[in-house]
Amino acid sequence: MNLYLITSALIFAIGVYGILTRRQAIMVFLSVELLLNAANLALVGISSTLADASAQAVAFMVIAIAAAEVAVGLGIIVAVFRLKDTASVDAAHELKG
Amino acid sequence: MLWLTIIFPLLGFVLLGLFGRRIREPVAGILASALVLGSFLVVAYLYLQGGAEVWIEDWLPGINFSLLLDPLAAYMSLIVTGIGFLIHVYSIGYMKGDPGFTRFFGYLNFFIAMMLILVLAGNYAVMFIGWEGVGLASFLLIGFWYQDLKNTDSARKAFIVNRIGDLGFLLGMALIYSLYGTLEIAELRAVIGAAGALPAALGIGAMLLFVGAIGKSAQVPLMVWLPDAMAGPTPVSALIHAATMVTAGVYLVARSSFIFSLFPWVSYTVAVIGLITALYGALSAFGQNDIKRVVAYSTISQLGYMFLAVGVGAYWIALFHVLTHAFFKALLFMTSGSVIHALGGEQDLNQMGGLRKLMPQTHIQALIGVLALGGFPLLSGFWSKDQIIAATLTYPFGGEIFYGLAIFTALLTAIYAMRWYVLVFLGTYRGKAHPHEAPAVMTVPNWILAIGAVFAGFLAPEPWGNFLEGFFGSTLASLEVAHLEMNNELLLIAVSALVALLGLWLGYWFFSRPQLPGWYQRFAAVSAQAFYADTLYQSWFVIPAKAWSIALSAFDRGVDFFYRGLAGAVAGLGRGLAWFQSGYARGYATWMFLGLFVLLLVGVWGFN
Repeated sequence: MNLYLITSALIFAIGVYGILTRRQAIMVFLSVELLLNAANLALVGISSTLADASAQAVAFMVIAIAAAEVAVGLGIIVAVFRLKDTASVDAAHELKG
Repeated sequence: MLWLTIIFPLLGFVLLGLFGRRIREPVAGILASALVLGSFLVVAYLYLQGGAEVWIEDWLPGINFSLLLDPLAAYMSLIVTGIGFLIHVYSIGYMKGDPGFTRFFGYLNFFIAMMLILVLAGNYAVMFIGWEGVGLASFLLIGFWYQDLKNTDSARKAFIVNRIGDLGFLLGMALIYSLYGTLEIAELRAVIGAAGALPAALGIGAMLLFVGAIGKSAQVPLMVWLPDAMAGPTPVSALIHAATMVTAGVYLVARSSFIFSLFPWVSYTVAVIGLITALYGALSAFGQNDIKRVVAYSTISQLGYMFLAVGVGAYWIALFHVLTHAFFKALLFMTSGSVIHALGGEQDLNQMGGLRKLMPQTHIQALIGVLALGGFPLLSGFWSKDQIIAATLTYPFGGEIFYGLAIFTALLTAIYAMRWYVLVFLGTYRGKAHPHEAPAVMTVPNWILAIGAVFAGFLAPEPWGNFLEGFFGSTLASLEVAHLEMNNELLLIAVSALVALLGLWLGYWFFSRPQLPGWYQRFAAVSAQAFYADTLYQSWFVIPAKAWSIALSAFDRGVDFFYRGLAGAVAGLGRGLAWFQSGYARGYATWMFLGLFVLLLVGVWGFN
């Protein structure tokens, strides 16, 4: 089980690193997917170790939500791209306090 | 129909106020004058028809709106609109070329409307509306040339001093309402007349009403505003501060005579205050070197005479003096105005003199005014003032001391009136400007006033005739009057005439001297300060009040400082926190993961 969790933690760390360092919105988006799937991996690993199907149910839930998130996130990226002619996340900083 | 008398001048005020910019110069004056004349004619017509009335039941809860044209109201209304009309016409000439020409006539019309409400009111509450309205008009017109700080100061002084009196009026009304549940004068009259025993509080109510009259009519101790009110244009001084508004106090006491006559102590107080004021005004007039201030103190003195008359119970004589005084004092003010106009704004008596030859018409008019004021036999002032002086002996609330001081004041009056005349018109011209006679639009109204100043006394030349007392009839309270024998009455008249002639001659002889003796100059120096009344009020009331207001405002600022500090702290906190809101999504993500990291650490080690 530890192997699952360590892999999951590594993937999660890679995702965090990607979010913090990448400027391209697509790359940031990809990193977010990594986070979600790291969580999924942990869930599935725990499910198989403990022989409990409820964790798998949560994993399916995450997959479904990730699909919805892709639709919304891509929509936002396209909208920003149309407005700014770039997909850099730093281009959108109008909400500076 | 009675509405029209008030609506005419009010219409003028509205028209001139709203469309003042479009109305060219003489038109505004002609319109305003015509409306006042219309008002005069309506009052005259309605009075000849036998009076009129306006009645709105329960206009305010418990208070009716009532106007009543009885002989007393008609008498006052005719003075207000008649003299008012002449002064309006005069103003067309006096205010020529002034940038505020239409504004001036708008205010004048407003004043006439409010004064008519005051005198026509059948109810104290309605009278109070007019009472405050004329106060406002007076304020606006004293400060008419508002670019000069001195004028606006004078306007505020008049307004604030009048407030003190108005508070008395208001409290008096409240007291009467709490006693009888009505402010309708006719109802009060009936109730009080029928009642056997009178509540003592009613006397206090009368006293409070008199406090209102003290303020409005510039009696001691609230007389300080009237000399300063001369900051306004001269026609204003003539109309408001001599002929009409300042006599409102006399009118109030006369209108309430059915109360005042029942309380000897109140009546004696009124008479004493009147006598003190008459003497004070006369003594203060000597030291003044401003052509208008002399006449202003003389007005205070003459108003004192009127209050002496209402105090002793001679109500109709007081109103008689209101009429004659309106004529000769308006005349004196307007001839002063003509002189000021001719000298290009000069008001200092030391810069005048010798105008007899340069302004022949104005000279004759002023001479008539001075003689009438001084009580020269057969002129209007002689008849009314002589009767006031005689009334101190025959009417119930008088006495020999009143008589002695009143006749002494009459002597002083004649002397200072002559001083004014000598300094302005006799001797040689001492000024630098080039005087010219006033235009016809100013001299013609003055001639009409001069005719009034000569002949108005023949309305009641006691003991040879009396038209006025019967005219007022039952509108004034009637008192038990001691009747003198014909010989004694003639003796009193002879004394008055001699005193007046002596005073006029003394004034002429004394002030024609090139050098005045030292004792007089010392007296004049004190008199010029009006016996330090202003200085006294300054140190006793004005400075403490100002100190108190400064302390209050400092406290207020302290409270403000605290709350501003509080608000500033919150704003600073907000500005500090705004630094987190960088606007970069990655920045937010960084904070989010840092937070997550901290939570994880707490989760791993925190709960073990």
